[in-house]
Amino acid sequence: MSPGRRKMLGAIVAVINVGIVGAIVGPVMGFVTSPMNQRGKKGWVKIARIEEIPDGRATEIRYSMRTKDGYHVVDREYSIYVRRDGEQVMCIDPACTHLGCRVEYQVDRDRFLCPCHGGVFDKHGGVVSGPPPKGLIRHLVKVEGGNILLHREV
Amino acid sequence: MARTPLPIKEHTISPEERADETRVTTHPEEELRLARPSLRDWLDLRLGWYGFVRKNLDEPMPPGVGWWQTLGNLLMTLLAFQFITGFALAMYYSASPETAYDSVKHINTEVPLGNFVRGLHVWGSTLIVMAVVAHTLRVFFWGSYKKPRELTWLVGVFIFQVILAFSFTGYLLPWDQKAYWATVVGTRIAATIPFVGDALLYLVRGGAEVGSLTLTRFYALHVMALPAALIGLMGIHLYLVRRHHIAGPVLPRRGKPVPFYPDQLFKDAVVQLVGVGFLVYLALAFKPALEAVANPTQVEFAPRPEWYFLGLYELLKIMPSGWELVATFVVPTGVTLGMIFLPWLDRSESRHPARRQWVIVTGIGIILMIGLLTLKGILETPPPHHSAPADLKATKTSDSS
Repeated sequence: MSPGRRKMLGAIVAVINVGIVGAIVGPVMGFVTSPMNQRGKKGWVKIARIEEIPDGRATEIRYSMRTKDGYHVVDREYSIYVRRDGEQVMCIDPACTHLGCRVEYQVDRDRFLCPCHGGVFDKHGGVVSGPPPKGLIRHLVKVEGGNILLHREV
Repeated sequence: MARTPLPIKEHTISPEERADETRVTTHPEEELRLARPSLRDWLDLRLGWYGFVRKNLDEPMPPGVGWWQTLGNLLMTLLAFQFITGFALAMYYSASPETAYDSVKHINTEVPLGNFVRGLHVWGSTLIVMAVVAHTLRVFFWGSYKKPRELTWLVGVFIFQVILAFSFTGYLLPWDQKAYWATVVGTRIAATIPFVGDALLYLVRGGAEVGSLTLTRFYALHVMALPAALIGLMGIHLYLVRRHHIAGPVLPRRGKPVPFYPDQLFKDAVVQLVGVGFLVYLALAFKPALEAVANPTQVEFAPRPEWYFLGLYELLKIMPSGWELVATFVVPTGVTLGMIFLPWLDRSESRHPARRQWVIVTGIGIILMIGLLTLKGILETPPPHHSAPADLKATKTSDSS
């Protein structure tokens, strides 16, 4: 076999193999990485009645929302801290901004503590001490007809 | 039937010789035997079995090789146990948030020997981490990673990583509180990486939150991708170990190499017996735990990782605000890269610890730091631990008991 023909056939085999690898890797990568491009739309969700929230402290509210979790639709329960000072209502996300543990509200100190790595947040969610890089996330909230509505991914 | 003329050979060949020789003889009896071979000979002709077995049993062991060189074999045995118990568990396990917890509970409480088989798997993971650490340290202190064994070490480092990935992905599968929250925190670590962190978090979790797609992702990795990777890497590792032989003591000793069988194989068997015995004892004496079902809304739960991740956990605690990337990314990546490039960082000719001081000192420093942080994590009183009150039900994963 001439060296030219040998080289030529080798090159064709290489191209075919690249095609074969691409044919499996391309679609599978797209399939597996698809969640990276999914971001939920935001909407208003009713979480509580304003009169249910005591004044001057944070209260943990659990609300249920129909969510699509992968392949099934579930009524998933969520929890959030609602703080009311008079007419002003604030929704504080309980996920620690450090690594996502649930912060615990301590009524006597009016602070949020993270049990995992010791983060401490003040009553409005600002960092007091510990490793968290930023304050707790505050969600947009509005009160309509006595209902507290939370703006979140739906 | 036409036969190729046989080269002349004066004597009848012994079974040992037969292993390597082309089976040709002029001796009439022998020729008859080869014409109607025993099953063993028949198989040998097709598989080359005698040669393979003899090559491995006669593998030369340099003088001074002994008990320290049994750890790799122990690790392999424990991994085989893990593979078999994992296969058995997969027959009862169901990877969905709605069923995972109940299926594991079913294994624990109803399936005959369920506690034992799951115990072997759970305790096996701990013993494997201990064995792989011990094996790695032995190779490190003996300097066995030096030329020409750089790639053996490199593949070993990848095996180490795969084993840690096994523990991390396996941890979520029971879908109890500990599993769920350790995964929430563990996956959030990915999100701390600048620029790509958020996308990575979605990729690892299969969405914004730890949910059904996280579970199926982890399960797929745990039972498909990681075993395939491990088997491939182990194959290369063993091939390289056999190709370059065991390194032997740091200072070569006088004497002739001894075959692997029977002395070293006997030591291996003793260590395997002790290791497996200990594993069986642990599985029988300490039933594998299953906490309350995963509950994303429960605020009171303080997750703690498995003991071998406690060092990292403590490091995360002591990092001041804004420095978490150091603990989540810089330190683990640095240690891993250090391990990967160790054979090229350590340029000394000698394998003797005294002749490669900076490597040994750095190594001991890192080991001490990890050890101290782990100890701190173990000694620290765990935060008040609440299991889920009866009135709390998780997302459709109600505890049916």
